[in-house]
Amino acid sequence: MGTKASVAGTERRSKQAVAARSYVQAELRLEFARDDATAQTVLAASRQEPPLRVVRAFRQEDGAALVHLHNVSGGLLGGDHLALMVTVGAGASVQITTTGATRIYRPRVEAKVTTQSNEITVGEGGLLEYLPDAVIPFAGARFSQRTAIRLAEGAGLFWWEILAPGREARGEVFEYESVELKTDLSAGGRLIAVERVRLEPRSRRLSSLARLGGYRTWATFYICRVGLGSAEWLEIERELRETLELLNRREDALWGISTLTAHGLMVRCVAKRGRDVLRGLQEVWRAAKWRLYGRETVMPRKVN
Amino acid sequence: MSELEVKIGELRLLQLADSALPIGGLAHSFGLESLVAGDLLGVGELAEFLRGFLEEAGLVEAVFCREGFRVGSGGSGEGWLSGAGDESARFGKRPLHLHEPLTDDFRKQWVGLNDRLSAMKMARESRVGSASLGANFLRAVAGLGDFAIVGEALRSSKEAGGLIHHSVAFGLAGGVLGFAEDRTVLAYLHQCVASQVSACQRLLPLGQSAATRILWDLKPAMIEAAKRSSTCAVEDASCFMPLLDWGAMEHPALTTRLFIS
Repeated sequence: MGTKASVAGTERRSKQAVAARSYVQAELRLEFARDDATAQTVLAASRQEPPLRVVRAFRQEDGAALVHLHNVSGGLLGGDHLALMVTVGAGASVQITTTGATRIYRPRVEAKVTTQSNEITVGEGGLLEYLPDAVIPFAGARFSQRTAIRLAEGAGLFWWEILAPGREARGEVFEYESVELKTDLSAGGRLIAVERVRLEPRSRRLSSLARLGGYRTWATFYICRVGLGSAEWLEIERELRETLELLNRREDALWGISTLTAHGLMVRCVAKRGRDVLRGLQEVWRAAKWRLYGRETVMPRKVN
Repeated sequence: MSELEVKIGELRLLQLADSALPIGGLAHSFGLESLVAGDLLGVGELAEFLRGFLEEAGLVEAVFCREGFRVGSGGSGEGWLSGAGDESARFGKRPLHLHEPLTDDFRKQWVGLNDRLSAMKMARESRVGSASLGANFLRAVAGLGDFAIVGEALRSSKEAGGLIHHSVAFGLAGGVLGFAEDRTVLAYLHQCVASQVSACQRLLPLGQSAATRILWDLKPAMIEAAKRSSTCAVEDASCFMPLLDWGAMEHPALTTRLFIS
């Protein structure tokens, strides 16, 4: 009797814990500032709510601060609402990466859509390099992400996102229920890129030629520096196209590039295999950073 | 509105949606040329591709066309797709000559709508192509009568240094000319897809009969896109066509090109 009661109590507590865990609302707020005395960017303030956290800001060789976004629960569960708020102060330089792929787990039937919101501000002359691993929506996942990026005068941005088709190694491809991505990128208060994507593989076949055709992984890379004129961006597009030409010679991916309405470029990629995408993005990043800042890229160290 | 005016309205809409307009429409493929050059699109896949196009890009353009209509007409039109209006409401809801005072709100909405669509069109050639057609279309409409709103739209965009997109311009014209909202959106979608089919006739071994059949069979998809657009906010209009994006982005790099975009 005592044992049965104990088991029942454990099960109840476990269910309660899962239920409680199912609807986590967490915020990660990071504020970076440039220390003029050392020419180093520091993490000036942060607010971290589990499961989101960063260990600390690492110094990069070029004076930038590097942080690793870490979700200690291993991924996003159904109903989770996570918010990332990053402020890069004037003249500061920040690199953000992830400790691994962002996994979007299969939710319980009654769970709400998993959401992630990103509010990003880059101050005058600041630079943000956002270089995460891929987002992997598991079978049945429902995910909605909203991103607003605001760039001040002279601010720079390298921002990529990779969407995997699922857990490919398990043969799980496009088995998620829905993925919604909403991105607003503005410079000086003016929208320069608005992206609205809604993927529902079950009702709108992603392998349709109108969408991904024979490709599975999709990546977007924004490259911006506010203040450069449209003629210069056209020139930069032409130069980066040479890098893309080399990438396009590989048969398993297509890379495209275009100037935005102002202040930047977008690179798009569709690939048959995800593993080549990150390498390609890094090549474009390297060429673009050299062209825009006259500096080599510093690859983010990975921690686990 | 008299029966004659209603019939004239119907004929005018047919004319504005004809393949002769917008001026320059035949010069753009909006990325299709690259897809064909890259062996990614052939005659066999065209119908399915265009159906997907209507579900994705077609929806976005329909939403913006509808919003343009509302800016031009000063509010939402009665929709027959949703069953809100009857047959007689399809045409001639407003007078053809408008001399109402225009507010800053109108200018803000008009320029803002076009700016937003510019920001959604990631590929430069497609963005510029859409804007070229939109400006040509609206100038053509301005030459057809004394339409204060059309003139003001052209002036506002010029002053703001903004673009005028085809879908928004078509919607605005529909609102100003007193057409029904849903009919305007459908006419725009038809013109848009017909133009793509026409481009494919020059890019692919696609004969007139096959092209006609494809366009004929796509009517339900056009209606579906128009219907979805009636309940979709501008903020939520979404599009996922990465292959076509790639085609449009890669087009400047093609060594031999039939089209501007």
